[in-house]
Amino acid sequence: MDYLKSKTPPVREDRLGTGVAFGGTVQEVRHAQKEGCLNLASRSFSQTQGCQFTLSLAIINTMRNAVSIMHGPVGCGAISIGNVGQSQTFKRLRDPKAEGLFWLSTNLTESDVINGGEEKLREAIRYADKEFQPEMIIIAVSCVPALIGDDVDAVIQELQDEVAAKIVPVQCAGFKTKAMATAYDDVYHGILRQLISHPIRREDRQVVPDDLRDVQRRYRDTRTVNVLNVGTMSRADELELERLLTALELKVRYLPCFSDADDFRYVLESALNVSICGTHDDYFIKHLETLYNIPFIIDTMPVGRRNIARWLRKIAEHFDLQEQAERLIAAEDKALDEALEPLRAQFRGKTAFVGGGEVRVLTTAEVLQDLGFRILGLKVHHYDEFVEPIYESLDDVDDVVLAVSAQQPFEQINLVKRLQPDLYVGHVGGGNISAKQGLPLLPLFGPTFLYMGYGGVYEMARRIQRLMSNYQFNKKIAAHCPLPYRESWYAKDPFTYIKTELEVSTG
Amino acid sequence: MSKFIDRPRYTCALGGALIALRALPRTIPIIHASSGCGFNVSNATTAGAGYLGGGYCGGTSASSTNVVEREIVFGGEERLAEQIQTTLEIIDGDLYVVITGCMVEMIGDDISVSTNKFAAAGVPVLPIPTPSFRGTSYEGYDMLLSGLFRLYTTKGRQHRKNRVNLWGLPPGQDIFYKGNLTEFRRLLGRIGLDAYTFFGEGEPLSNLQNAADASLNIILSDTYGLKSAEVFEEVHGTPWISVPLPIGASQTANFLRTVAQALKIPDAEVEQVIAEEDARYYDYMERLADIYNDADLQRYAVITGDANYAPSVARFVSDDLGWVPRLVVITDSLEPDDTESRATLLARFEGWESDIRPEVRFDTDASAVVKYLPEAWEPNHNERYYNSLTPLVLIGSVFERDLAIKLNAPLLTLSFPATNRVILNQAYAGYNGGLTFMADLFSALLVGR
Repeated sequence: MDYLKSKTPPVREDRLGTGVAFGGTVQEVRHAQKEGCLNLASRSFSQTQGCQFTLSLAIINTMRNAVSIMHGPVGCGAISIGNVGQSQTFKRLRDPKAEGLFWLSTNLTESDVINGGEEKLREAIRYADKEFQPEMIIIAVSCVPALIGDDVDAVIQELQDEVAAKIVPVQCAGFKTKAMATAYDDVYHGILRQLISHPIRREDRQVVPDDLRDVQRRYRDTRTVNVLNVGTMSRADELELERLLTALELKVRYLPCFSDADDFRYVLESALNVSICGTHDDYFIKHLETLYNIPFIIDTMPVGRRNIARWLRKIAEHFDLQEQAERLIAAEDKALDEALEPLRAQFRGKTAFVGGGEVRVLTTAEVLQDLGFRILGLKVHHYDEFVEPIYESLDDVDDVVLAVSAQQPFEQINLVKRLQPDLYVGHVGGGNISAKQGLPLLPLFGPTFLYMGYGGVYEMARRIQRLMSNYQFNKKIAAHCPLPYRESWYAKDPFTYIKTELEVSTG
Repeated sequence: MSKFIDRPRYTCALGGALIALRALPRTIPIIHASSGCGFNVSNATTAGAGYLGGGYCGGTSASSTNVVEREIVFGGEERLAEQIQTTLEIIDGDLYVVITGCMVEMIGDDISVSTNKFAAAGVPVLPIPTPSFRGTSYEGYDMLLSGLFRLYTTKGRQHRKNRVNLWGLPPGQDIFYKGNLTEFRRLLGRIGLDAYTFFGEGEPLSNLQNAADASLNIILSDTYGLKSAEVFEEVHGTPWISVPLPIGASQTANFLRTVAQALKIPDAEVEQVIAEEDARYYDYMERLADIYNDADLQRYAVITGDANYAPSVARFVSDDLGWVPRLVVITDSLEPDDTESRATLLARFEGWESDIRPEVRFDTDASAVVKYLPEAWEPNHNERYYNSLTPLVLIGSVFERDLAIKLNAPLLTLSFPATNRVILNQAYAGYNGGLTFMADLFSALLVGR
């Protein structure tokens, strides 16, 4: 894969045939994906859902020693306001001295729309460099400058020698795609172009020949894996996965979230790139393979016992560590299984609905099945090839309802009302909507909780037990705060407003 | 030319309008914009306004055309008409308002072409353009109100003597908007006035529809909502006054006198109400007289806030609490040539009972506050005896937290964004608001006790 010569990555509808609107069963969606006909559907009713700009910030806002510039009108990127406090807290879990979240808005106004926003961008870059002295200045380019044709690359070229920070462009104009996950490609595109180069010598360099040093370095490089983390991971998730890989005597480096520019400088000093979420990482690690010949594994997310084992086995196989891996998996599995047993008794026969990003949703479904839940429905932001390996971990989901829709709570509400699950597991951002159906709600991920690895399964299990033991808050909300949908909506098919391929292409 | 902004303390025009719509009962926004616009500004305000939440049909429930490249190239009016049609089918509301983002404005969509198709829908579907390159949330609030007054408020109604409208507190940007409005309805009720505020507790949409029967519009702001007041006057012939947001007993008494004067309410009636309110207020304030004096709870203050809050808060802590405000930073995005607004706001720092005069600065940038400190207080030049700016309290937004930690001073957040506290029905304005504010402020000093 090599798209780096172009200013922007291709959108995912084109590159991966990503679908954003589909309703049916698991079997049907898998078939449609394989036929390559998922990516053309659209909706005649839609709700606001985020864009590749807002999702880019999910990575950008985690970067340490960085200042971002929201290049657009004053509102673009305001979503960062919600992260001001948390961002600093979570960065400090990685580096106790980390600063908080800083961003500038180029505040494009009507005259800039006419005259171009490049001059304001220059001013903002100079100010960011002088005022904050960051290692990175990340420019998130919104719809307006993309439409008026600001040449951000030219501005960067002009200023890169003038400022000390590395300037990273992220071309993430929201109107370009409905597949928000293109955001990940946008961010990685900027990182690949500006931050990754052949390894430079480290501080431990000596300007003399030294065989021992070279051997040590080679050994280190052959045992180091880059694990591609996601912004929704907690530090506890990272520590849990690190524990498992350390047990295989591997050294772990986490990228790109909560990284600083140095972490990217050393990215090539590794033996393997391991994805946690294919939908998040494939653009980056396929480029690293093409450009720098580093192998990669994109398979499943280490959530749920079967998926963790699968993830570990793939890595172990690469390093010829199968025996050690099997011993580790057997020991971990046994201990967890025993710990889950008393909880399982309480979940037997209960039902659940899971909504959110495709990879999280399907791996979390494995956890729920393991605990004794029956999966009634699934809802994923988008759909592509990256979930295919996860089906092996699931029992009998062919006929389970699957909705492909980013946010779009109207479809979710309709489905949940029909299916009547005992538990709703969902993506953050729609809590107030799901609450109005009066169900206990487990967030699909959370930056202060453990979800991944063996520990994650147990944590989810005990939280679900607690959440289901008393959900009076949501019951009260449901009893007193109505949802905005007409009664007639609940009588209609939840996928009524998905336009077929034909309707879209002709109208 | 306007400049870049370091961490804006507001979203855009679309954001201001969207949050104002969220604050109206059973009012359904239809966003004609890219897919992320509504999501972005809702998330900003949900957290920044002390956890305002999505409400009935805001947040990710909000209807949105989610235009993509195809509409940008071919125009989005057809897509909008489709979205209005489907929204009416699914979403149960009493008023539907189409608001716009930058992209559809840049390509020249005429949204009234789309809304006109629904003239016979049985419910109003109003077009109110809110392009965000034309302003911040404050302007969006004003654009929305102007549009509603033109298109929704019934024309030709008889002005009623005791009816007034009151606005100027943009929902979300004023994190206490709802509690404050409750307090002002109560107070105006006490001097015999029936006030519609549109966004207040339990107010029906008919208050907005019937707004033209007011004999006076009271704008509780020196800067926000003034354009919509002009529009209201132009369309409905209602006069208006602009008064600063009153916080605490002294300012609120003056507010009541100003309103009474404008409506020719007899002095005696108003003074009677003020006397009663004062008595109640000082009965509570008296409780603090022990700890205030025993523990020396007088403080220096550095205040950061918008044009509504910054001057009134500064005056309140000076003239009512006997504190010493040294620096006030007003964070609005004022045009560089807007000397009139600046002059009006600066005048609010004159004639204080305490004779204190803090340094006042206008700056949008979150990193700016610290830079003005040396101008407000002589820095330490390594003197043996240094008269420092302590004990100090910071009053501002969550953006001031790093500074508060650096200065080792408590921070009370009352301006947007305030992600570190929950705001429900609290008010910080009027008599009751002054008491709540006072309680929170002194509580921040006593957390260790």
